[in-house]
Amino acid sequence: MTEDMSIESYLSQGGKLTNPTNVPPRYRAELMKMMATFVDSELAGAAGFADVINAGPGIKERIAAAKIVLEKTDNADRVLRLLGEFGADTARYATSHPWTARLPRDAGPGTHRSEHDMRLSVLNYPLSGWTDAVVMNLCMGLAVGAQLAEMQKVSYQPLAEAIRKVAPVEARHVELAEEGLARLMEQGQSDAIAAALAYWRPRVAAIFGDVAGHRFEQLSAWGLRHQNNAALLQGWNDALNAALARLGVAA
Amino acid sequence: MARFHQLAVTDVRKTIRDAVVVSLKPVNDGDFDFTQGQYLTFRRDFDGTELRRSYSICAGKTEGILQVGIKRVEGGAFSSWANETLKTGDTLEAMEPMGSFFTPLEASAARNYLGFAGGSGITPVLSILKTTLAAEPHSSFTLVYANRGVNSIMFREELEDLKNLYMGRLTIIHVLESDAQDIDLFTGRVDAAKCKALFEHWIDIASIDTAFICGPEPMMLGIAASLREHGLDDTQIKFELFASAQPGRLKRRARAGDDAAAAKTTEASVTLDGTARSFTMDKDQTVLDAALENAIDAPFACKAGVCSTCRCKVLEGEVEMVANHALEDYEVQQGYVLSCQSFPVTDRVVVDYDQ
Repeated sequence: MTEDMSIESYLSQGGKLTNPTNVPPRYRAELMKMMATFVDSELAGAAGFADVINAGPGIKERIAAAKIVLEKTDNADRVLRLLGEFGADTARYATSHPWTARLPRDAGPGTHRSEHDMRLSVLNYPLSGWTDAVVMNLCMGLAVGAQLAEMQKVSYQPLAEAIRKVAPVEARHVELAEEGLARLMEQGQSDAIAAALAYWRPRVAAIFGDVAGHRFEQLSAWGLRHQNNAALLQGWNDALNAALARLGVAA
Repeated sequence: MARFHQLAVTDVRKTIRDAVVVSLKPVNDGDFDFTQGQYLTFRRDFDGTELRRSYSICAGKTEGILQVGIKRVEGGAFSSWANETLKTGDTLEAMEPMGSFFTPLEASAARNYLGFAGGSGITPVLSILKTTLAAEPHSSFTLVYANRGVNSIMFREELEDLKNLYMGRLTIIHVLESDAQDIDLFTGRVDAAKCKALFEHWIDIASIDTAFICGPEPMMLGIAASLREHGLDDTQIKFELFASAQPGRLKRRARAGDDAAAAKTTEASVTLDGTARSFTMDKDQTVLDAALENAIDAPFACKAGVCSTCRCKVLEGEVEMVANHALEDYEVQQGYVLSCQSFPVTDRVVVDYDQ
């Protein structure tokens, strides 16, 4: 039972890695970037939403916002623990960046990331009031759904398993956003919703920025990626259009 | 962050010619209350170089004992030492149990589990099957155990005893590579074709809730492919891999040169994905920033010295690492640095992200 097979060849055939002891160095780096992006995005997202709790128009809305803050932080913790198994100082990590820091509201859409952390670019833009936050949560929640579906297939089994636990929680946040938007539509807020949608849609779309072809090839050979960003973007657009149609919001 | 604790060796027992079962007891601190299927990471100093090796726990959760199985690997410093020199009364250093090669158990569940083990891959699977059969009285377990020959079967007697203890709930199929058996099916390697044949007559694959696989890479691929083909999805298949390439062999590292540091700039060479690039950089810039500035897609995440995504190895020259909250002493000794925190000291620096 000692036949030799390189880790690269094992991975390219769909093999799974299960612990930090035998991940190749470059795989380790790309995997850690992926996990850091997730953790930073969840922490930044939760931090941004924390300020919105008090903007909730009623107690139900405030409970929903508080739940989202709690659960996104909890999701960050799940993956941060995996980073810890690779040597990251988890206690220091959680407080190493100002997660509430944002660009000015009028900063144009782009894929530029903050210099200081790995959060997805969209999380560098500030929320502006309750309706804006609910629209952002719907747009972003669906994008997160598309990305998590991809991450569940990742070749590092502990991460795939963590994401399988996280995905239904995040899906519930999208439902909360849709319920919140339905209430806002009943209250005649369609203009404010349209304005928020015009602001957030291109900014969320930008997180599906291009991955250079050769890089994607390498990542998929390692089993870290499966679908390319164009396909993920398409899936997200379809899901968002369907949700907007259900709500009667013009896309 | 990972911490090591002292464990007293209370027993060392040979299970086959080149494998030992080591019983351990925490000396003072550390939470060693493991879950079935987890592993321990040990460290030991060999001639000034620290080696780390992970070994799966083979004891069941309810046995009240901490035991690992260590099979000797050709040329492996740690496993040879454990098989030749380690004795009762010695002390080992290990981190608390880690790993997620398990599923939650429920006393009332009536599930069917299937385990595949290749050679020493039996250690975590043994822990799982013992724990599961004890904790879920209505569940059953089928073990497919691949070995070269009869003489290399670890835990052979113990498995026989378990079969008698859990009559009707534990089925064991030995597949031997070189020793002929009564039934042809049980000779050869466990690959996709062998699985297919087993699923036809011996294992009711449709009834299986969860499968555990621990063995060499090609075996895991073949079995996983066959399980998927027979309707199991990724959530039902659990893997544990300790690759043969696990760093365990002693290697001397190249000595860093001692160039006098005078200039304000450094000639840097950075290797990433097999390509080396050279450029001139300022000494007041980090290696990571300089690499990024020169259009090298070097990995990083926190840029604060806490996550270790940007780890690289210094092959030549010297850098000063101003903060390090992630690398451990033994990694630093081997020449690893956090490139986001490292400033060149010498006039020439060669770093590699591929090692």
